Amino acid sequence: MGGSSGNTVARLQDIRKSYDMGTMSVEVLHGISLDFESGDYITIMGPSGCGKSTLMNILGCLDQPTTGTYFLGDEDTSQMNDDDLSQIRGARLGFIFQSYNLIQQLNVLENIEMPLFYQGYGESESHEIALQLAERVGLADRVDHKPFELSGGQQQRVAIARALSVDPLIILADEPTGNLDSKSGAEILNLFDELHSQGKTLIMVTHSDELAERSSRRIRLHDGLVESDERP
Amino acid sequence: MSDLSLEASLANQRGRQQSRFNLLRFKKITQVGIKSIYSHGLRSLLTVLGIVIGVAAVIAMLAVSEGASFEAQQQFRDLGASNILLKSVKPAEVEETSRQGFGPPQAIVYGLTNADIRTIQDTIPGVNNVIASRIVKKNVWNLGLNMNTDVVGTTIDYPISRNYNLRSGRFFTQTEVRDHANVVVLSDEVASVLFPIDNPLGKTIRIDSDYYNVVGIMESEGFSNLGQNQAGSSNAAPSRIFIPITSSRSRFGETTTRQTAGGMESETVELHEAIIQVEDQETVIQVGEVIEQILERRHRDVDYAIEVPLALLRQAEQSALRDQIVAGAIAGISLLVGGIGIMNIMLASVTERTREIGIRRALGAKKRDIITQFLIEAVILSGVGGLIGVVLGVTIPFFISLFWGMTTIVTPVAPILAFSISALIGVIFGIYPSMRAADMDPVEALRHE
Repeated sequence: MGGSSGNTVARLQDIRKSYDMGTMSVEVLHGISLDFESGDYITIMGPSGCGKSTLMNILGCLDQPTTGTYFLGDEDTSQMNDDDLSQIRGARLGFIFQSYNLIQQLNVLENIEMPLFYQGYGESESHEIALQLAERVGLADRVDHKPFELSGGQQQRVAIARALSVDPLIILADEPTGNLDSKSGAEILNLFDELHSQGKTLIMVTHSDELAERSSRRIRLHDGLVESDERP
Repeated sequence: MSDLSLEASLANQRGRQQSRFNLLRFKKITQVGIKSIYSHGLRSLLTVLGIVIGVAAVIAMLAVSEGASFEAQQQFRDLGASNILLKSVKPAEVEETSRQGFGPPQAIVYGLTNADIRTIQDTIPGVNNVIASRIVKKNVWNLGLNMNTDVVGTTIDYPISRNYNLRSGRFFTQTEVRDHANVVVLSDEVASVLFPIDNPLGKTIRIDSDYYNVVGIMESEGFSNLGQNQAGSSNAAPSRIFIPITSSRSRFGETTTRQTAGGMESETVELHEAIIQVEDQETVIQVGEVIEQILERRHRDVDYAIEVPLALLRQAEQSALRDQIVAGAIAGISLLVGGIGIMNIMLASVTERTREIGIRRALGAKKRDIITQFLIEAVILSGVGGLIGVVLGVTIPFFISLFWGMTTIVTPVAPILAFSISALIGVIFGIYPSMRAADMDPVEALRHE
């Protein structure tokens, strides 16, 4: 699919975020408004301290904006309580972290199944989904391995499969290739291209120009504001 | 994907939420909990040690005290719950004065008298029967064989009053008592010494210069010597023989003389013991008090002892209750320490698994999912500890019985109670760590190294 022809899956309206630092309050995001469209492949870049992690946390419903509204799908998340935020995270978002964040005691299949478990899927159903996804990321023969038995690239592929398990609206990735060598990194990027071509919506925070070049929309942040937003 | 299909998919996911707390979820969380406990095997084992000891202690101590109180109650029941026992006791002061004296020893006069018994029988309502006995130590002979034993001169109701059964033959009759007959009933022990081969029934034994016909043999069991030992009046009770009280009085007299280290000692005792049977078990304690008052008035010295088995039984029950409270307190402390141990390890586990908590929260776990997870782990820990404790607690009394011969009784209530308490402790001491885990900020938790 590609391009910008999809529907709006997420909408940020004048998002501000400030943190209390003892007596004074520091504003990190100074009013960000962005619309994200279904099927888009978006990268968010910017120097450290520009607020991209904070923006990512808000997009991921892990944190809430101080002011402004954030619509995920058709739901306003800015007024949600903790339970609803957990629910929407589990049902509509997929997370991919720089350090994979797999649970060490669980094997590949169990890690992939975890979001399904919190959504109340049955055992056989989630098993089936997890097996399909393991195959899709090329780890069908490793399903009973523990994370520490896998390479970094393989672990990240487990994390991607896990992010896909609930078929989320948006896949959020935070420096997904940051811990990988160039070969594994390239494999992961190819996988993202594949997901993009299948119509998944991807939002990534990265420093990598290589990653940004593959995306269909590049947003640069500077000092808590959108500096540029281009579509090559 | 159109908005409409999005709505549909969301509705679908909402639908799944209805079945949140089903057994399957519970099973899955339990599996994860077991995995995590198993991955720290030794640590988990040490953690539950407090619970194990606590639970085992509760069960074992209850079993021992239950057994002890059962045994005591059995002994008192053997003495007869509606009986009052009286004994003659040599008063301490009299003993002193007799030692200071010169010349031939004066006979010490002490103890219960026939007049006492008559007074009790005549003045106290509710006294059914009084079985008075004289106990004299004698050498008993069958040809060349002899044995030093207590010769009990008593009345015909003695065996019934003490749950003491005949093995063979009969007890002596009222006629024989009236006639001062030379008849004797042997205890099993005495019979086996004096008549190792032949049947003693119909044979004769000799005491001093008189011969007595053996008419019956008593069973060895069923006789409790507890009363005797407590009153301090007699030695090993079972090696006794029984003759009519009238015969005892006329053959042996009321004054006995025996050789002691300091010379001769003689004493005059009319009656050595008396069993007072009370009509109604309810009144036995009051009757005992009245008898005590009567004896206090009639005797200058306290040369008697009074014993109410029912009162002793009540005391035994009281002390058994006290034992159980002490045992319960010790076990409670142990369980409390065990619980603190679990809390400690759960807190450590929460800190250690901060990142896991963050991941789970990011992937859709609600606070209550996290609480459930850690709570279940705490309950599994304490439950496993409780289970090991129950096994130990049931085994220990068995070995106590085996090696020390103590009676132990494991009532089914004890293991169930102890196990439930241990599981409850898991919940109580698991709540705080679980809440701490759930209250973590997901962003912070994910950042945790």
